[in-house]
Amino acid sequence: MIDPALWREARALVESQGLRFEPDLDDLVGLYEHDRLIGCGARQGYVLKMLALEPEHQGTSALGDLITQLLASARRAGHDTVFIYTTPQAAPSFQAMNFRLLVAQGAVALLEHGPGLEAYLADHAREMKPGRNGAIVLNANPFTLGHQHLVEEAAHRCDQLYLFVVREDRSVFPFAVREALVREGTAHLPNVTVLDTSRYAVSAGTFPSYFLKRLEEASRLQMDLDLRLFAQRLAPPFQVVTRYVGQEPHCPTTAAYNRRMSEILAEHAIHWVEIPRIEASGGAISATRVRKALLRGDFSALESLVPPTTLRFLASPQGRPIVERLRTSQEATP
Amino acid sequence: MTIRHKATAGTMQSSDAMITVEPSDSLEILIESTVRKQFEPLIREQVEATLARLGVTTGRIHISDRGALDYALSARVETAIQRAHQE
Repeated sequence: MIDPALWREARALVESQGLRFEPDLDDLVGLYEHDRLIGCGARQGYVLKMLALEPEHQGTSALGDLITQLLASARRAGHDTVFIYTTPQAAPSFQAMNFRLLVAQGAVALLEHGPGLEAYLADHAREMKPGRNGAIVLNANPFTLGHQHLVEEAAHRCDQLYLFVVREDRSVFPFAVREALVREGTAHLPNVTVLDTSRYAVSAGTFPSYFLKRLEEASRLQMDLDLRLFAQRLAPPFQVVTRYVGQEPHCPTTAAYNRRMSEILAEHAIHWVEIPRIEASGGAISATRVRKALLRGDFSALESLVPPTTLRFLASPQGRPIVERLRTSQEATP
Repeated sequence: MTIRHKATAGTMQSSDAMITVEPSDSLEILIESTVRKQFEPLIREQVEATLARLGVTTGRIHISDRGALDYALSARVETAIQRAHQE
């Protein structure tokens, strides 16, 4: 689908500019002068990346040509809003093209073009209530008694509690199902509002690292960027002063994320509260345990791990293909 | 004319504007421009005048402006509308 010659030449151009060629992409655009590639740019979903130009074409109309094509490509794929992750030094070039800076953190800046965050916040304006509000960001793959406990504990401690369900679909339970189970499992709480994160949760999946000198920085930068985006762009409009998380006894990545979260939130005067996990027959309840029980077909174990609303779904005809997918996938991460 | 489907016109080049139009129940004009503070009212006026001339009463019109002059803005808007009107 992508011309092999373009692929080869683009890789050479990207690497000649000290960037890393990331092969994970949906579209690649090349800019030629007399049959020679002088610029390229890529798109993966709604994220633009790997924009590279030969030095003599930098600061010219070449970047505009690439961006025009990439925006058209994104539009054809159904994306009105696009993101670009780039170096802070390159940010002004994109701002001149009406890209808005969302958040910057040391080596990386995130910008967007299109209706974006403003449209997202306008869509949720009716759900913004004044008060000392709280937030939980959760994937809920699927929604367990552990999640329910966290939500109930948090809801008692704040005026309005916002549950931001991670929109990105990289889990065995599709977003639509995860969100529905969160809603059903929290319907009894009057001060809870369920929302999706839209594009505004920076995941390892969408975070490109093509411009990083050291690949091992990627994970930490992605975490920091995600946390700052939350603190600077999501918390203030919803008047969130506290973020709640469940204590993480097992997963080192989540534990590291939680620690970093407390640091970054403190910088933005946002409180951070860790709620201990509830236990069931020898261990903290987690979505991982639930998926393991599902794989075993152990519905009696599931009864002590998930609320009736989730159990009902798992046993339903809609639930069965998901259980099958779980069986065939190698998914072990929470 | 009627906006029957999504269409675009223009580029991200300096002195140009990129226009995307799509069907909508009401008329919404969203303007993005690095000179928004100084020129938004004038840009809006130009776009509204062009839409009125073409008989467009509903649609979501998104403008990413890079300093386009009146005639350029008008031409791009008209092209986008014509493309959106075509079956």
